[in-house]
Amino acid sequence: MLKTLIDAFALISTWEVIIAMFAASVYGLVIGSLPGLSATMATALLVPVTFYLSPIAAIATIVAASSMAIFSGDIPGALLRIPGTPASAAYADEAYAMTRKGQAELALGAGVWFSAVGGIAGVLSLMILAPPLAEIALSFSTFEYFWLALLGLMCATLVARSSPVKAIAGMFIGLLVACIGIENPGGVPRFTFGLTDLFGGIEPIPALVGVFAVAQVMRAMLTPEPPPLPRRKFGSILAGQWRLTKLYHWQMTRGNIVGIIIGVLPGAGADMAAWVSYAMSKRFSKEPEKFGTGHVEGLVEAGASNNASIASGWVPSLLFGIPGDTIAAIAIGVLYMKGLNPGPTLFTEKASSMYAIYLMFIIANIMMIPLGIAMIRVAAYILLAPRSAIMPIIMLCCAVGSFAIGNNMFGVVTVAAFGVIGYVMEANGYPVAAMVLGIVMGTMVEQAFVTSLIKSDGSILPFFERPVAAILAAMAIGALLWPVMVWVWRKVKQPQAAAATTR
Amino acid sequence: MRLPDSVTGSFLVVLGAAAAYGGWILPPVPGQPVGPNVFPLVIGCGLALCGLAIVFGIGRSFEEEEVLVPLEDGRAAAPPPQGRLYGLRALLPPALLLFYVAAADRLGFIITAAIMVYVTSTALGARWKLALPLAALSPFAIHLIFGKLLRVPLPAGLLPAPW
Repeated sequence: MLKTLIDAFALISTWEVIIAMFAASVYGLVIGSLPGLSATMATALLVPVTFYLSPIAAIATIVAASSMAIFSGDIPGALLRIPGTPASAAYADEAYAMTRKGQAELALGAGVWFSAVGGIAGVLSLMILAPPLAEIALSFSTFEYFWLALLGLMCATLVARSSPVKAIAGMFIGLLVACIGIENPGGVPRFTFGLTDLFGGIEPIPALVGVFAVAQVMRAMLTPEPPPLPRRKFGSILAGQWRLTKLYHWQMTRGNIVGIIIGVLPGAGADMAAWVSYAMSKRFSKEPEKFGTGHVEGLVEAGASNNASIASGWVPSLLFGIPGDTIAAIAIGVLYMKGLNPGPTLFTEKASSMYAIYLMFIIANIMMIPLGIAMIRVAAYILLAPRSAIMPIIMLCCAVGSFAIGNNMFGVVTVAAFGVIGYVMEANGYPVAAMVLGIVMGTMVEQAFVTSLIKSDGSILPFFERPVAAILAAMAIGALLWPVMVWVWRKVKQPQAAAATTR
Repeated sequence: MRLPDSVTGSFLVVLGAAAAYGGWILPPVPGQPVGPNVFPLVIGCGLALCGLAIVFGIGRSFEEEEVLVPLEDGRAAAPPPQGRLYGLRALLPPALLLFYVAAADRLGFIITAAIMVYVTSTALGARWKLALPLAALSPFAIHLIFGKLLRVPLPAGLLPAPW
């Protein structure tokens, strides 16, 4: 244990890792603070750069950039009422109301302070949850993996803020994309339409860049430019945060726990955590009437929640290769490329690398406090950059980055195609995150499914015979039937309510 | 680009049916009951069922309409001009990426990238005073990072980078 820890320290105390982390932090802060550029997009555009780094430095960039971007989305949320990332959308109104009351420092300080606390709570959950789960996961057979993957996919559809049918459809589209190529049980070219470029399948990373970056540039083409940020002088940013921590320690803890749980659930990430926590804070507050008028309580809980979900999203990713959120989906791609294939054995064979990931998360969240404060002070200058100067650079990075992944032009075509797919899906209410999950998990789901079918020799019983498999199966089927039950419940309740009002 | 649910749903039915058929005609692995054909078949059927459900409006009640946040002190955002071709502007970024694929090998990275930057920037409302310097400088900066530092083999074409 101690030796592993020392090894981990040795792994991260190289210049490469330190510079990579620092540069990625600044990059994450800048991208996160620009409205319309999300944390997922920041991470996706980083991937080509990670090719040229050592495995630990590559993960360091992703850890640092994603944590910082989630915090820095609060900055334009508080100052402009335009969330920098979707994860800040839940409480942008509240933070902006505080700014109008002259409490911008308190709102932003709460953002940076409780983000850091939440992030560290998330890492602790990762450290505590992952090893025992890995122990259990070692005894999993393909049946358990099949149900686990199915459960993961169903979770993504349950938590989507959209119609569950559309979410399931999005998931199927993703799985269908994963079918393309010759990497299937028979080794035959499937859905390749005679194109040799498609033999290798659709790489998840260009698809993600397309869905999250190109689609965003497409949306920018049709939406008006956000107003510039008024310049202002800030007082002390951390003043009063300790008092808030003591006053709202229970809200903070609850936010951390909710964030951790939502992070672990596949497909649901920081934005969902912030929405749920903000709603919970209002529901259980002693003074709910103050919400919406610039009350810091909801900010504390939601800020603690969205950063906690970032680290805990790595739990299912590292253990099973099932992404906890879209950022973790990208991280999984990088882990595979760097020879750190997700799986329970990662925790025994590459234990020092795992400890290095924990340490980097902790360091990133501590670094967030000084860097975040600096960012708040210079934000007015960075937000002066017009969208027409940023989006073209994003486009160039998309083109060059997707080319760099395989050094072939087909990657650029993939990015363009998935830009259109992502844009059309989003515009019509199909959750993109569900499709992303399908693409990332497709090969794994199919392998578990087909191997299980071969083993069971056509019978369906072995899918339920092992105890863990039976529990997972019950949960997955329950998740599948949940929307149906809600729907039936509403149908039954509606006539009753109608009857009650007419009486 | 908001299409009626009946259109997107029907599209999914067709896509699902095509996937199921495509899976069906794949050659099985000799001597084994399940092969590469099973998974697409399952997914295709599922997708088609979802498509049908969407056509019939099942699950609509779960959707939340997006609330547009108005700006403060009555400074309402100007409604975007709604010309017939306005919506097509969204297709500009993917079109430019395809242009990059087609032209980069012949023209070289610097020239292609400069054209992409200029067009995107102008489309987003930049004057030439911003777009032109941006188009002239940013390709070199990107080339420096990706081509020089990260050693991505970017095409040289007509105008090779000076390093």
